[in-house]
Formats: sequence, C-alpha cells, structure tokens
Amino acid sequence: MSKLTKEIIDLINGSESIKILATADEEGNPCTAFKDSLTVLDDGNLAFGEEFEGSQTNVNLVRSIWFNKSVELTVRDRRGTTFQIKGKPYRYVHAGPLFKKFYFAEREKRGADSELAGVWIITPEEVRNETYEIRKKEEDERHPFFRHFDRASVRKVK
Amino acid sequence: MNEDNHELGFEELAAKYPDFPRLLIRKLDAELRGVALTERALERAKEEGCLYDAAADLGQETPRPVLGGALFRDGSWVLGMEPMYLQFPNGYKRSGSLYTIDVVDGKLWLLDGDNPVEEVFFVSYPEYFGKKTSRGTPMVKVVSARLPGLLFVYLYNRCDFWAEQKPCKYCSFPTRVFRRKPGYTQEGLDDLYETMNEALKEEGKWMNIVLLAGSNLSGNSPYDNEVDEYVKVLTTLRKSFGTEKVYAKMVASAFSREQLLRLKEAGATTYQPHIEVWDEKLFEWICPGKTKYFGRQYWIDSALSAVEIFGRGYVCTQFVGGVELMQPYGFKTIDEALESTLEGAEFFASHGVGPIAIIHRLEKGTVFYAQKQKPAPLEYYVRLMKGISEIHRKYNLSVDFNNYRCHPTGDLDRLHNAAREGA
Repeated sequence: MSKLTKEIIDLINGSESIKILATADEEGNPCTAFKDSLTVLDDGNLAFGEEFEGSQTNVNLVRSIWFNKSVELTVRDRRGTTFQIKGKPYRYVHAGPLFKKFYFAEREKRGADSELAGVWIITPEEVRNETYEIRKKEEDERHPFFRHFDRASVRKVK
Repeated sequence: MNEDNHELGFEELAAKYPDFPRLLIRKLDAELRGVALTERALERAKEEGCLYDAAADLGQETPRPVLGGALFRDGSWVLGMEPMYLQFPNGYKRSGSLYTIDVVDGKLWLLDGDNPVEEVFFVSYPEYFGKKTSRGTPMVKVVSARLPGLLFVYLYNRCDFWAEQKPCKYCSFPTRVFRRKPGYTQEGLDDLYETMNEALKEEGKWMNIVLLAGSNLSGNSPYDNEVDEYVKVLTTLRKSFGTEKVYAKMVASAFSREQLLRLKEAGATTYQPHIEVWDEKLFEWICPGKTKYFGRQYWIDSALSAVEIFGRGYVCTQFVGGVELMQPYGFKTIDEALESTLEGAEFFASHGVGPIAIIHRLEKGTVFYAQKQKPAPLEYYVRLMKGISEIHRKYNLSVDFNNYRCHPTGDLDRLHNAAREGA
C-alpha cells in the first residue's frame, strides 16, 4: 500500500513544484540537492535521476542502500503546500527501460553532452505535511505555551 | 591453505566486518559459489528479452543461451562479469553450494538454499546481437559484451606463453569461444567498424570498452606485433567515435616506452599490464611466460613508465586475488597472502598505478584447475577488496576505467568517489 495520497502524487508530479533531496554522509554531515526529475512510479515508489556518479548525493545514497539508512525528500508547490517524505533507497538503476526513460529526458532537457549516471528508486516510509497552516495548527494544539502573546489567537490587540 | 583454518561463512563475516556492506559480501560469495537459474527464472529472462540464443552465430543447432546479465539492487553485478557462454556455473571449481535465481512472489530473487537473500534484476541483451555485418559476420563474434554496459573486443585469443607451454597457471584464455588469430585483416577491421557503429546506435547503453589480447612476442622488437594490433583497433575505434582519444581500457603485455608512445599516438587513453601476483617467487611459479619475457621487474617498470605517458589514474595493474594461496608454493594463511598482495598494491598506488583485483576462479582449462587446487576463502576476498579500496583512498587514486559497472574492484570505491580530487 503506497504511503502517498493523490494530493502528494499530484504535488510531486506538478511541473512547478520544488523537489529537494536530503542525505547524510558517514559522519552525519548533511547534503541537499534539487531533484527536478522526481516522479512517482506505478508501484508507489519514488524515482529521480542522478546526473553524476561522483556527486556527494550519489555517494550518500550508495551508503544508504548498503547500510539501510534513510533519506528525505521535500516537495513544495507555489502556494506553499509542502510535504516531507522519509524513505529508504530501494534500487539504483543504470540499465533498462526505466533508466532509458530518464536518460532520454535528461538529454532532451540539457542537450547532447549531458549525462545521467543512474536512477534512484526510493520506497517512502513516512510522510509529513509541512504546509505552514497545517503545521501551525498542530503546534498550537500540542504546544500552546510556545506562542508569543502578540498572536491574534492569544491576545486581542486593540 | 592450511586445512585447519576455519572458513567463515556469510553471516559470520557480515558480523565480523560490519563496515563492509552485506550486499557486497553476498556478491563475493555468489561469485565464489556460483549462481544457477531455475527453469522459472530462465522463462522470466526470455519473457523480459534478457536471454539471447547464440546458436546461429556459432553455426550450431543446440541452443546456446546467454543471459544479458543480472544486477543487485545497488546496480552491482550478480551475473555478467563472466565471458559470454561461461555465465552458467559449470566449468569451475566452486566453494560450497550454488546460489540460485528464482521467481518468488512474482519477483526475482537470489536464493541461498531455500532462502531468498537478495532481490535481483535481469538486464536485456544489446540490440546489435543477432545482426550481421555486410560481409555476413555475426556482429556478436566481432564485439562481445559484458553487460549491461561494457563492449568487449578480443583482438585475438592466442597467447605465446601458451604456445611455449608457459601459461599463467590461472589462465584459460585459449578456451574462449570465439577464436581469432592475431592479424586483423582490412575485412576484419571493416567488420569491427560496422559492429561498433551498430552497437553505438543503442543510446544509454554503453559506458566502457575493453580491448584484450594474449601476449604476442613477434615483431622487430618483442611485443611489436601485439602493439600493431592494438593500433589497428584503436584507429578503427577512433573512426567510429570521430575523436582523437578513445576512452577504452587496454589490457595488454608489458610494453616499452616507445611502444606505449605509439599507442598513445593511436588514441589510447589507458593501459593495463597485469602483474597478477606480487611475491617474486610466486610470480615466477605462477607466471612463467611473463617471467621469461622479461621478468617481474620489466612488467613493473612498464606500468610505472606508463604513468608518465598516460597520467596518474590512467594506468592500472591487476592482481588475480587468491592465486598466491595455491599450493604447494603459495602462502599458508590468508594473513600472509594479504600482507604480500596489499604490499604490492600499495607499491603501485604510491607510483600512480591503480591496483585492482579480481576473484580467482578455478576454471576448467587452467593449470590450477587440473591440479585440483582449492579456491581461496570468502574472508580473504572481503579483506582484499577492503584493503585495495583503502589504498585507493589513501593515495586519492582513481581506477574509474575499472569502475564497479565493469570490474569487481570498484564496488567499495563508490563510497569515496566524491572525496577524490583530480584523477
């Protein structure tokens, strides 16, 4: 059963959405990268192209698939609707139909000397709605004493 | 090997070396033990367009299935490194029982006994397979492949060391299926040109080419005719690529500086004269042909001088990991064997030559197979691959033309690709 609702799938597939991947190296140092090609596969997994074999992101993803570590994707549209998706790398594809689909798209986008090292497939494990209004409501309910007194919901300002 | 040594199995080694990826231990174990496909898996391979029948190319009526290859989840090899037609696990002396690939709940799995241990994925065979050149030569006989992305050009599979009955003791070179004598004719080069052009039509497929030949001592100076053959092939590849440089890996004999300069002039970008085994006495025993023509130091010097010509990181030398444990002259423990081989690897790395290693497979047709030698244990290979990768890292040395997609050494280097600077 996919963790992704239709709203999230539409958000990911939206051409104007911003898509960011966060990984960590051996010492826990963070690394973020834009992943414009992020898409949802028919089986509910996520896929994106990795341009460079030697990128820090790719190295971190290899470490993650070998040692069962999580990565996180953040997706946001122009209205501010934002989701964070935590998942595990399931597969690195550098041959076959899925790879070729991404490969040809990359060449279409960037031209004849562009490169695509492979396609990462991520299995989503946890999804959080990080849209501001949603998070504010959650926080206000959980932590009512972490609100400044200037806020309209706490004090009526004359 | 000392018979008292307890050989650790997969789980024991995974616990002992937690910083070594389990998946890569599995890969090494699968290569040592061998992998067979069940009927269900073969049927799946056919359905997915991953099983090629080479019978017609060979002029045979009996089916000669060739699997396009199989990959683990991380993109490294399960099957595919073996030369074509040897992908199925006969013809080798193996350690332990075979792994199998089978269909489980609709997916392909590598099984250890009845236990699915890793999901695997087949790779389709290249689109140029089954096609012929305008002279009617099956293209697969001109250029073969190690899949999914390596084109393989056997210049010829004659080796003068075999002719002199001084073969390297692990080598089965003359038994390769497509026999070709030295001496490319113009027709042969035309076939090569046509085949390369056809193969390259498949976009998103190829990333490596290997050129390989046996040692050829003939010519005005020893190895001159071997160099001539490489020059012919490089010149043809230059025509196919339309470039001055050819990004191919060239596995060859120990050439002189003058011969190496000729190759560079012809477009070569890399060079690999293989040392095979580091210990001096074992080199003489295991590689009598290389010892006679013209000794261990000559092969070392050739690799070192090539760095001045091709650059740091563009020259490799290979160790056949495990041959230094063959008896009666080999090391008695894996500690001694690794100390020697890693000393050699470090020596080369310190001079800018990338050390790489393969698993010694006891293959039918080799001297060691006939001698009923025993394969080195799995732990040896775990430590060897770890040790060599650490040396690459220590010397900030790339072996990218032998990366994980076409050579077993490169797997662990994937963890420090981003750390390297320059080469």
